[in-house]
Amino acid sequence: MILLQVIVGGLLIGAVYALFSSGLTLIWGMMNVINFAHGEFVMLGMYVAFWAFTLAGAGPASFTALAAVVLFILGVIVYMALIRQVMRGPMLAQILSTFGLLLLLRYAAFWAFSANFVTLPEDLVGPSFNLGGILLSAPKLLAGGVALALTIGMHVLLTRTAIGSQILAVAEDRDAAMLMGIRPDRMQAIAWGLAGASAGIAGALIATFFPISPTAGESLALIAFVVVTLGGFGSVPGAMIAGLVIGLIESLSAYYFGPIYQDVFVYGLFVVVLWVRPHGLLGKA
Amino acid sequence: MRQSRTIGWAALAIALLGFPLIFSGAYYEQLAALVILSAISASAWNLIGGYAGQVSVGHAVFFGAGAYMPLLFYKLWAVSPLLGFPAGVAVSLTVAVVIGVPTFRLSGHYFSMATIAVAELIRILVGNWDFLGASIGLMGPPTARGWWDLVFRSSVPYYYIFLSVLAVLLAFTRWMERGRFGYYLRAIRTNERAARSLGVPVSRYKLLALMVSAGFTSLAGSLYAAKFGFIDPNSGLAILVSVNMVIMAALGGAGRLLGPLLGAAILVPLQTTMNSIFGGGGTGLTYVFYGGIILLIARFEPGGLIQMTERILTRLRAHAARSKAQAGGVNAA
Amino acid sequence: MLLEANDVTMAFGGFLAVSGASLGVAEGEIVGLIGPNGAGKSTLFNCLAGDLKPTSGRVVFDGVDVTRANPETHAKIGIGRTFQVPATFTDLTVLENVMVGAFARHPNATGAREAAWRVLELTGLAGQAERRAGNLGTPGRKRLEIARARATAPRLVLLDEALAGLNPAEVQQAIELVRAIHRTGVTLVIVEHIMEVILTLAERVVVFNQGRVIAQGPPNDVVNDPAVIDAYLGHSHARRSQQGTIA
Repeated sequence: MILLQVIVGGLLIGAVYALFSSGLTLIWGMMNVINFAHGEFVMLGMYVAFWAFTLAGAGPASFTALAAVVLFILGVIVYMALIRQVMRGPMLAQILSTFGLLLLLRYAAFWAFSANFVTLPEDLVGPSFNLGGILLSAPKLLAGGVALALTIGMHVLLTRTAIGSQILAVAEDRDAAMLMGIRPDRMQAIAWGLAGASAGIAGALIATFFPISPTAGESLALIAFVVVTLGGFGSVPGAMIAGLVIGLIESLSAYYFGPIYQDVFVYGLFVVVLWVRPHGLLGKA
Repeated sequence: MRQSRTIGWAALAIALLGFPLIFSGAYYEQLAALVILSAISASAWNLIGGYAGQVSVGHAVFFGAGAYMPLLFYKLWAVSPLLGFPAGVAVSLTVAVVIGVPTFRLSGHYFSMATIAVAELIRILVGNWDFLGASIGLMGPPTARGWWDLVFRSSVPYYYIFLSVLAVLLAFTRWMERGRFGYYLRAIRTNERAARSLGVPVSRYKLLALMVSAGFTSLAGSLYAAKFGFIDPNSGLAILVSVNMVIMAALGGAGRLLGPLLGAAILVPLQTTMNSIFGGGGTGLTYVFYGGIILLIARFEPGGLIQMTERILTRLRAHAARSKAQAGGVNAA
Repeated sequence: MLLEANDVTMAFGGFLAVSGASLGVAEGEIVGLIGPNGAGKSTLFNCLAGDLKPTSGRVVFDGVDVTRANPETHAKIGIGRTFQVPATFTDLTVLENVMVGAFARHPNATGAREAAWRVLELTGLAGQAERRAGNLGTPGRKRLEIARARATAPRLVLLDEALAGLNPAEVQQAIELVRAIHRTGVTLVIVEHIMEVILTLAERVVVFNQGRVIAQGPPNDVVNDPAVIDAYLGHSHARRSQQGTIA
């Protein structure tokens, strides 16, 4: 029974991982840029949720929406002010740019919010309840459900809507897209906005059941890296599956070996994937 | 041209050798030693990050391996920490192979992500392993039983030891720059596909560069452990250790011989000053500042201060040449 | 045959970019590879160069099967190539660019530098040796591209649209350069769009359309082949040409 609970819990958190990782893989596939500050976007989403609740009494629906908007805007700004220019330059500049952003955001949060962690009230979303012998935490259930829906929604947005196909067109062949009248710059900015929003929403959801601190982004970014690598370069469906897998592995590792080592398993898995199947589950070779 | 170069080198050598004699006093001596030590690890990073263009943001793992091994040897067998230096290098080379072999045949991002992940993985493991002191860490010999314990009361001996190691590293870098290794690394950095088409064994050279880099970074870590007589996961394996190496090399000039030394000479005193002004709470602010610097370098001047200076000088020379030509034209008329 | 492609097929998913292509290049030849856009010649080119691994078929160089070999191996055994968009090492000087190529045969810098100088003189770039390669214009970069590949002392060079984007005067100079390279004993396979270049340079032409070889032979024969005209200009034009209604 406990094992079943661990599995369900792992899948739920895995759905959240899938959500913010799908934004990262979208950008990667589109522009060949890895946002090293992606974990910090999630962290900021957590803080937006916290402050919206603390200062204005906002509920989960409101603060999640707010986090989406704020981080969407941040994503677009980062693209316009930084990524657009370094994309064309040497690899060193590309990687240093988002790495510098990581430091800037993380330590600005440190300085503004102090190193201590804060939390949202435990019963904000609802109490834990028993479903057929499994103890389910309401915030985790909500987070997992919403995340899964949104990740699927992202996939649908990309593959079934006009704007989505424009984004994918730019990802596929920038020049051809231009010839078709699509503006790559605008699509890339939107992609960054979507990536930011997915990170922000994920952060707001996580904030309902997890302590919020400036360093929260550190392990989340690494999880995102493992997920996008396992899922495959640029593949949102891949990130979805990989996210669930990683969440599951993390949960099972914590159960069998203790929570201290759960990250070790995930990072260790990363190294194994790199050795054995670097192109991931659904990536193009 | 040749002559002014040699004079420049001689001047630098004299300045470095004579520094502690001119600026004596514990504060300056310690600062100088720290600058040189930081320059060693930044210059080591430079080999893979600057010259080969493969950006490692987890180099702390090599530094930490180098720092832990000597102190571990001392803890286990009460021997001189010096005996642990090669062990640190061996561990670092192994980690380098584990990271490099799978990722160097893929695009650069995989390597960068892998460095961060492996560094974190090792930090967590070490921090929870009592054998290595867990979160408390390891300590070295409290007093010198002989010169081989590398325990000196003054920073001056350390300064000269560090300087010798830096000199060897820079000499190696210089030699590499001028030979096939250096040309191939720069080709790889600029355009891997073109390099391949010219017969450059890309993955092999990247791995070689990483291994040399890891080895020297490990030495820097060992020297750090020798001087401070203490290491813990935070001072040896945390991300900020990696950040320091990266920013010093990038600020001075990644891919340039003296870039890391320049960066260290600027940032180490700066960091020391900021620490004394802001205290521990200043740590957050320092790294906000560092993040900003890295951002600006990446966005505006990836070649760092050295490249910026060269650019300005070229523009000034062109401007002077134009003015001279114009003046000449007026006179002729 | 110095270079042979045997029944090479390259499939991307369900799409056959190249289908059962066979061609042979004898030592000392200049062979042109032409065809309309999207005909598959670039794909075949990349299969020959080692950038792509064919789905099926074989590529053999001087008796050695290089079908699955990577580009570095290709260069080592004597196949050089240029890129359509010059892949210049922009931050290196012209000399240093060529030296990277020369290092393939000369492990130490002095030897590589001498070999590079000789190539620079051969290709007319000696005057620009110390210039930053990124400051060269397109013609210079294309010339450098060829020089660099030549410095690896190849037996065969694959030229990928080395003359595209040049004005008529530059095209003439480039043709001279290609001839000079050929005279030093290098076999050449040229992918080109510009008919004049192919007619002038190539001894033999292979025509591609829709992934297949549709014609082979001396340039003048190939140009008048109805199948080739059809491929380039469309069916009606071929018919009209046969009926003699085109002046």
